[in-house]
Amino acid sequence: MQHFALTIIGRDRPGIVSQVTGILFDLGCNIADSSCSILGGQFSMILILAHPDYVDRESFGDAFLPLEESGLSVFLRVLKPGGEIRPDIEGDLCMISVYGSDKPGIVYRVAKILGEKQVNITDLNTKLVGSEERPVYVLILEAVLPENITEEDVDTWMSPLRSELQVDISVRTIPTAEL
Amino acid sequence: MAVCPILLYPDPILKQVAEPVVMPDETVDALVQDLIDTMLDAGHSVGVAAPQIGASRRVVVVDVSNSKLGRDNNHGLLTMINPEVIEKSGSMTMREGCMSVPDYTGNVTRAENIIVEFTDRSGQPQVIECSGFEAIAIQHEIDHLDGLLFLDRVSSLKTDLFRRKKR
Repeated sequence: MQHFALTIIGRDRPGIVSQVTGILFDLGCNIADSSCSILGGQFSMILILAHPDYVDRESFGDAFLPLEESGLSVFLRVLKPGGEIRPDIEGDLCMISVYGSDKPGIVYRVAKILGEKQVNITDLNTKLVGSEERPVYVLILEAVLPENITEEDVDTWMSPLRSELQVDISVRTIPTAEL
Repeated sequence: MAVCPILLYPDPILKQVAEPVVMPDETVDALVQDLIDTMLDAGHSVGVAAPQIGASRRVVVVDVSNSKLGRDNNHGLLTMINPEVIEKSGSMTMREGCMSVPDYTGNVTRAENIIVEFTDRSGQPQVIECSGFEAIAIQHEIDHLDGLLFLDRVSSLKTDLFRRKKR
């Protein structure tokens, strides 16, 4: 079955999820993985969809027009075959928290180190908190550590950022068990 | 004595409250052996509850002694008939998965220390104190006896820290 990725974003208000999923239901789309959240004042939805008959963007016709008319931005991506299959990433889960007074480059510097070390980020959230005078930036991410890489290694890599960016960083693996 | 297939949700047995075993019961020993065989065959499994192999009876086996998380703090192979947690304290969050719900994990917060009462394989009443991973595993398996899956206990959507709004 052809799969699609649908991204929708717009000013938050009650009823967005119901409006979007109502349209998808009427079209006969299946929602597979999805993640929806409020970011700033915007509600954002990312969904992987499948439809037994649809093959391309045109198949959807103007089904999303009512969403756009109500102020939502809609983007549809047609996935290549297999694009819906989640890779099996083996390894220990690691949480990294980085926080401190807001400054440019926090996300980039952390992500750069992990990328260079081939550590896969599986989830990442950031939030600007604190007061207007003293904004505090909080970054929390989850990554999968390749074999032979420990929590201590990650902590050592992050160490220079503590002084360079004046941020606090903590690294911990999450015990995961199939019971 | 048999390795049994692990039932997967949505098998209705997994959502049923299991029946207590009335001791003495001649059939329970074979069930215990099946649970142990199935647990061992599942390689990294640290516990199996009877409903997971299709028996809606209050029996679980737990053995965390071979797992990294439980190696240093465990009671070895535990066979628990009619187990009941009679005291709990502390809390501990773990990312749990379940053989009956493949491909999904969630953060679950459970008691870190428990006192559990049960009847052992030889029919003797036992009361033991467990902590850490062994306590988590026992609570997870006992949940199966009450028709609960870890999905019913998930405490957060991954990094839930941002979702709690102050003020």
